[in-house]
Parts: sequence; structure tokens; C-alpha cells
Amino acid sequence: MTHASGDTLALQGESRGPSQKQQARLNGLMRSQATFAWALIAPAALYLMLVVAWPLVETIRLSFTNANIGGEAYIGTANYEKLFSSRKFSQTISRTFYWMFLSVSLKIVLGLIGATLLNAAIPGRALFRMLVMPPWIVPVAIGCFGWLWLYNGHFGIISGVLQYVGILDGPFEFLAYKNSAFYSAVITDVWVGLPMVTIFLLAAMQGVPRDLYEAAYVDGASRWYRFRRITIPQILPVIITMSILSIIWTFNSFEIIWILTEGGPRSATTTLIIDTYKMAIANYKFGQGAARAVVVVTLLSVFSLVYLFALHQIKKRFEAV
Amino acid sequence: MMDHYSLPHKIFLYVCVALFLGFILLPFFEMFMTSLRPLEHLFRSPYQFWSDDFSFKAYAQMWVTVPMLPRYIANSMFISLSVTALALTFIIPAAYAYARFDFKGKTLSLGIFLAVNMFSGAVLLIPLYKLLRTYGMLNTYFAMIVPGAAFLVPMGIWLLKSYLEKIPRELEEAAFMDGASRLYTLRRVVLPLAVPGLMVVGVAVFLSAYAQQFLFAITFNSVKEFMPLPAGILEFIGFQSVKWNQMMAASIIGILPVLVIFLFLQRYLVAGLTAGALKE
Amino acid sequence: MRNKLILLAAAGAGAMLSASAAQSAELHFIRCGDNGLDQDRKVIAEFEVKYPGNTVNMENLPWGTCQDKSLKLAAAGSPPSVSYMGSRTLKQLADNNLVVPVKISEEQQQSYQPGVLGTVSYRDQFWGFPRAFSTKGLFLNCDIFEEAGLACEAPKTWDEMYETAKIIKDKTGKAGVGLTGKDFDNTMHQFLNYLYSNGGQVIDPSTNEITLNSKNTLETLKFYGKLVDVSQDGPTAFERTQVRDLFNDNKVGMYIDGPWARSQHKEGINTIAAAIPAGPSGVSGTLLITDSLAVFKGSGHEDLAMEFARMMTTGDSQYELDRPEGWGLTPILKYEELGYEKPYYMDDPYWKVFIDPIPTGGPEPLFVDYKAMQTTINSMIQGIILKDDTAENLVSIAAEELEEFK
Repeated sequence: MTHASGDTLALQGESRGPSQKQQARLNGLMRSQATFAWALIAPAALYLMLVVAWPLVETIRLSFTNANIGGEAYIGTANYEKLFSSRKFSQTISRTFYWMFLSVSLKIVLGLIGATLLNAAIPGRALFRMLVMPPWIVPVAIGCFGWLWLYNGHFGIISGVLQYVGILDGPFEFLAYKNSAFYSAVITDVWVGLPMVTIFLLAAMQGVPRDLYEAAYVDGASRWYRFRRITIPQILPVIITMSILSIIWTFNSFEIIWILTEGGPRSATTTLIIDTYKMAIANYKFGQGAARAVVVVTLLSVFSLVYLFALHQIKKRFEAV
Repeated sequence: MMDHYSLPHKIFLYVCVALFLGFILLPFFEMFMTSLRPLEHLFRSPYQFWSDDFSFKAYAQMWVTVPMLPRYIANSMFISLSVTALALTFIIPAAYAYARFDFKGKTLSLGIFLAVNMFSGAVLLIPLYKLLRTYGMLNTYFAMIVPGAAFLVPMGIWLLKSYLEKIPRELEEAAFMDGASRLYTLRRVVLPLAVPGLMVVGVAVFLSAYAQQFLFAITFNSVKEFMPLPAGILEFIGFQSVKWNQMMAASIIGILPVLVIFLFLQRYLVAGLTAGALKE
Repeated sequence: MRNKLILLAAAGAGAMLSASAAQSAELHFIRCGDNGLDQDRKVIAEFEVKYPGNTVNMENLPWGTCQDKSLKLAAAGSPPSVSYMGSRTLKQLADNNLVVPVKISEEQQQSYQPGVLGTVSYRDQFWGFPRAFSTKGLFLNCDIFEEAGLACEAPKTWDEMYETAKIIKDKTGKAGVGLTGKDFDNTMHQFLNYLYSNGGQVIDPSTNEITLNSKNTLETLKFYGKLVDVSQDGPTAFERTQVRDLFNDNKVGMYIDGPWARSQHKEGINTIAAAIPAGPSGVSGTLLITDSLAVFKGSGHEDLAMEFARMMTTGDSQYELDRPEGWGLTPILKYEELGYEKPYYMDDPYWKVFIDPIPTGGPEPLFVDYKAMQTTINSMIQGIILKDDTAENLVSIAAEELEEFK
């Protein structure tokens, strides 16, 4: 990068002819740039050290104690031993990954469909683009109260309509059964995350140079072909970015499940975050909660690295074709 | 022409759009219908789309049930705006540094910033609570603003960095050579050019802050006067019953100002995103 | 040993504080909900007159957050002086040295209904002033009974109850009985009503032994499994107020609720209240729940706080809360013996339903980790509702898990 800017400077130098003094000033600035860069980064770094890094270190410390409302004492790795010998906890881990996989795939697939629809040259699309925004804008907690009503089997619209058309022969409580509660929570999570994914993918699609499509069109390529061979490769970086952000957010998604089911029935919707919150905040077992938090952070870091690496390989292959 | 659709194709597109938007808007429809029902009608089955006793009464009564409602609505916006302002003061210099300079430890430190993205406030609540207590920030606006902004800074740095990288550096270099200081250049040359990018980042930060103030509010604040809307509407939950119709009415009215603003900002958001951000 | 130390420390602190109580103090009082605010303000005014120079800062919080806030404040080292707490939290608070034991005079002890003081006793001391008391009864929707061709008579036994519910379900398609199964406090509460009506018990308060794994529990859980077939769809999504909504919508024939339910029922539906049916191994009983005013440790004026809590929970102040114009609760004191002339519940068949079973009732089980206990019991209940496992397995798993939380 330094090299590249050197070239640009050289070009400018020819046209404008910087004086010796200016050149010296520029060189000086170059040398001091590391110091300056760090000075610019320092406020953000210090802030995050205080508000994120210190709490993280404190969490790690707490995870080796039995901290609760009455006090705390060092107990070694007992919290972790208990965690890893618990069958419930391993179930929670696999449930969390299933939850994440399902929700993120749906967000990306539906986001691609939505972005394509909103990118189509049809009358009304300006309005449609606006109408896709609301779930992103409203506080998650408020949207979830709306869903709570939707899923109500006796007084909600979904069960009501399904009974009216005869698909159901009586009320059905979506949040009462293990499977239906789980998939209901997934759908709400998709609903919350979908607008952002759609808008970002739409922006990416609009950034694809039009002449690429026109050339393909002239060659007689079908819409599907153009989508597959031009759109997807062109917007791949954004798809990857959005899927990573979605993974992190879905993994950490708390309010949705908490408001809909609080992790029930019988833990069917308990993800790692819910489990951690329940233990630490609702039950005041800070030590055991902290051990869970440490596991959450570790798992998420490892998973993201592996995922990034895998995507990088796919991207390379894609570009090679 | 390339953009021409046959009639069946057009119909197909509209049906798909309707399904897609139907999914997006369904909960709002339900919230609105709930707000129109008299309380005793809410719990009446089978489901009725319309009945003569539906009315906008809840929209009048809610201000009586929860007198602090206007304050909660304003708090929500105030907290989100403060979070955005605070986050941007950290984001802008750092993003500029990452976009413009090469230095030892750049990749590593950027990686660490991005890693912060992975933490949610929910797993760090206990130490955060202690931290806020130590600095006397519990039960103040700061209790929601300070942690709220922290978790948005990394995302903001990342978005803004990729945007700033698109701005040609020749302009800055010319300014340096004319004797301007680095900070002056940042303020007077780079920032004006980066306005669309700042908008995108500002909007993204604001929306995230607006959407996610519930958890910090219920955990770190218990002073009514400072509560944001999502926590404030819990007051419609009484000892024995919940005034759902008023709660939904309050939610709709409460989010309306922000909703309207952002529906119209959407165009600039897409334009800003298209123009630069996020293309690596 | 540790307990002894705590007691010593508590005594020492108490002695020091009574000296400082003479100086002016600001009491921080946390209460829940909007009901009865004026009455509390009246007591505060009386208190401030009686103890000049001292003031009470009353904080009124929504039901969902009030108790958590008190705990949070206590854990953070700035406890409220007096706070409204569910009595089931007292054991945990006492064990963690967060509240002080309160002194209740012999005379005052005599004035409580039987069973009430049991809900605040632990290690031979009282850990709060009982404030709100409730017992439960079975409510019948007579309109549905009529629709099903039944006389509106309350079933006396579980078998009768099931038969009645089944007839309602078969004849009207509506739920014969409303069940709660959400992971909520009142899911466990409802179950305990049945358990206590079948001679069962979760923990023996005198020996601190888990007694859940019994024939009585097994029968109760199996009965629940049967009731699911004649209840509303998806009990695991319901807590008590939601069942009441269905009851008000004429969709549920019978359900269990407290004495306040009468004022929550829709006008125009015919209801009667009756004792909870008896199981095969017991007699009709009820769950006895109290909430208390707990005096937190470390406020610096515990004695004064205790005096304030006592004023709140005695005499007219308590009566105003209990009577139907207040919260409409089961009387916590024997008002007729305290000189009240014809208190609200005297010679009233409705109140008889809620007062008669007090002697055969049982308390909310006291556990050090009551939330974990509640989750365990609820998981057992949900297990049978969702047909996840056999009743035998569910009970023995729950009993085993409970060992950790007592």
C-alpha cells in the first residue's frame, strides 16, 4: 500500500513539482504515520478494553469461583467439570448450532430472494423497499410481543385462520410443543434479521456493473444463468460478510427466545445464551454462569475462524472457475 | 429488452413480493389488530377479523394507564442517539487509521476489534454490572449508553473503514503538501467526502442501538424516568392482567416517529451501501 | 459453624445499629404493583410521625421487576431497608446473610392464621413479616356445565373431576379443565395444590429431606397426565392468568385460582368456587403462599426498618390490603379475634372455600435455590404433559435433582 501511494506521489510530483520542503514534510509524515495511526485507534481501543476486555477477564476469573449473591470462593475447575459432564449442556450446544445453522441459512436464502425481488425493475419497487425495513427498525422486544400474539393458539391470527380454512380442527398453541416452539423461534429470528440481510444484498446487487449483464443478455443467457454466473460471484463477498454477521448475531440472539419461550418447554428452545443468562442472572449463580459464558465465547471464536477459512477456500475456487 | 418481463412473469414477481412483504409485515398487522380490540374482546375465540366494537380507544387510554409513556418514547430515541454519537467519536478516527495507514500490528489489532463483535452483552452482564457500579453509572442514562455503544464500535469501524478506502487519497495528500495538519485534513477533506458512508454507519449503529436497548435497560437501570420504550411498556403488565391492547397501541405509536424517518432514509442507506461500504 | 458465625454477626450488628437508629434515617422501601399505594402512604405518614426525623422513600416497581431489583441491590451491597419479597426466597436470603431475622412477639404470633408463619420460618427463626396470604380453590364455569348437561356441582375427588372434565370435553368440545404448564411459578403452585390434596410433600421442613419421590407424587403426576387429554390445547404455553382468559371466554370448565379471581371473572358468566378435589391418598388441601416484608441487612437502620415493616403488616394496614376492596386475599390474621367486628370473610360461603382448607394445606417448599427447585418441578410437570417420559422416571429424576438445591 505504501508502495502504491509512492507511485501516485511520483505521478503527482511530475505534474505539480513539489518543492524540496514539501517532499521532506511528506516523508516526515510517512515516518510518523504509525504513531498517528495508533493515536487515532487509542480511544476506541481503551474504551473497549474497559467495557469489553476487562469484563471478559473478570468473567474468566469468576468462572473459577462459586460466586453467587452471598459471596464467592475459588473452586478451581469445578464449574467446567460439572458443565462438561452434563448431558443437558452438550444437548444445548448441539441445539444452539442447529438453531444457528437453520436461522442463518434461511436468512441468506430468503435475503437473496428478497433482494432479487426488490432489485427487479417493476413498478412499486421504491415502496416495496421501504416496507421491508420495519423489523430492522423496531426494537426487537416490541416485535417479539407481536409474534407472541401470532403464535397464540386460541386468540392469534395464524391458528385462527388455519382453523377457519379447516387445516386445524381446534386451537393449536405454537409455543407449547417442543418442535413447534423451536421452529417458531427460528422463524421469528429470521424475521428480525432478514431486512438487514436483504438491504445489504440489494445494495451489493445494485453495485454489480450493468454491462456484465448486458453482455450476457446479448449472448442469450437466461435470467437464471445471469443470476448464477454473474450476480452470485459478484456479490459473494457481501454474502460472506452477511452470513458471518448473522452467525454471530443468531448465536447471541437473546431477547427473541427469552420473550417467546424463556427457553422452554423442557429446554426445547434453550440455546447457550439463554442457558448462560438463566444461570447467571435469573438464578444468581454467577460462577456457573461465567463458565458458560467462557464456553460460549470460545466456541463462537473457533467456529467463526473455521467458517471464515472454509469460505475463503470456496471463494478461491469460485474465482478460479 | 433485458428488463422487460412477460405478463405471467410479472404476476409471479408480484405474488412473490406480496408473500415476502406479508411475512415481514404480519406481526405489525397483528399488533395493530390487537390494539383495536377492547380488552374483553382480545380473549375471545374464534378469531374475528372485525367486529363492531373495535375502536381506537386504547390509543387514548394508554396515556392514562402509563403516564410516563411520552418520556419512554423520548428516552428510547435519546439513548440511541447518544449511543450513536458516542460510538461515532470512537469509530471515525479508528476507521480512518485502518483505512489509510500501514503500521505494525494493523491486521492483528483489527482482528481483535472484530473479535469483540462476537461478544454479546448478555454473556458479560455480571462484570458489566460491577463496572457500572464502580463508576456510579448504575441507574443513569450512562448505564444503557456506555455498554450499548461498546458492542457497536467494532462493526462501525469495519463498515466505515471499507467505505473510507474508496475515497481517493490524492486529495488528502494534496492537502498535506499544502501544509495542512493531519487532523485538519481528516476534518476538512476526508469527513465531508465520507458523508454517505458516515450516514450508513450512523444509521446501522442507531438502528442496532434502538433495537437492542431492552436487555441493558432491564439489567442496569431501574429508574422509571430513564427507561426506554421496550422496558417501559412492561408497565402495561399489571398484577392480575395485561392491558395488551394499550401495550400494542403504545408500541405502535412509540416506534412510529423512528419508523417513518427510517423508511425514508432507506433510499440513502441503499445508495450509501452501493456506493462503497462492504465491498472488500 | 458458618451459620453460628452469621447469627453472631447479625446479633452484633443489631446491637450497634439500635444505637444509631435514634438518629434520623431514610428508609428505602420497595413494593410491587400499583394496588394499595394510598394505604401504604398512610402508614408511612404514621410512621414518620411516630419516629420523627426519619423518612421513608417508597419505591413502587412493576410486579415483574420488583423482587429482582431488591436482590440485585442487596447483592451489590446497597440493600433496600425493607422490601416486598416472595416468602420462598427467604431461605436463600437468610443463607446468604442478606436479611436479618425479624422479631415477632408471642402475642403477634397468635394472631396469624395457622400455617402462615410456617412460610417464613427457617432455622427456628422468622425471616420476614408475612404480608400477603393466599389459598386456592377450584372455580367452575356453570354455563359450560349446563351446556354439557351437567349440574353445576363441584367434584369432590379426582376421579369425579376427571369424569366431569371428560363429559365436558366430549359433549362441548371445550376443555374440561384448565392446566398450567409454562415454566412459571404458578405452574408449580397449581401442581402443589393437587399434591397437597393427595398427602404429598416436596421437602420435609423439619428434617430438610427431599420427600418428593413418593407414591403420592406419582399418583398426582399420573393424574396430570390424564387431565392433559381433557384440558385446553398446549398447557405448556399457559400460566394461570392465561387459563383465566380462556375461562372467561367460556372455553374452560374448571380451573384453580385464588380468592381474587372472583373480581377478575367476566361479568355475566356463572361461576362457583369449591374446595380442591381430594386425591386417592389425601384430603382436600391447598397451597399456602405468602409474600413478606423482608428486612435487609446492611441498611444501617435494621431495627427501625423492622418497626416499619411491623407497622405495615399489622392492624388496619394489613386489613386494608386483605379485604376485597384491597387485594382481595385470604385473611392472613384472625381478624375476628383481634376485635374486628364481622370482618369481610365472616359467614361468607365464598371465603369459607378459601379458609377451611388452611389446616390441611402446605407451604411453598423452602429451598436455598428456589428458582432451580421451581425449574426442576416444572420440568417434571412439563415432562408428563408433553408425554416425554414415564411418571416414575420424571419423579425420580426430579427428586434426585432437588438434592442439590435444598
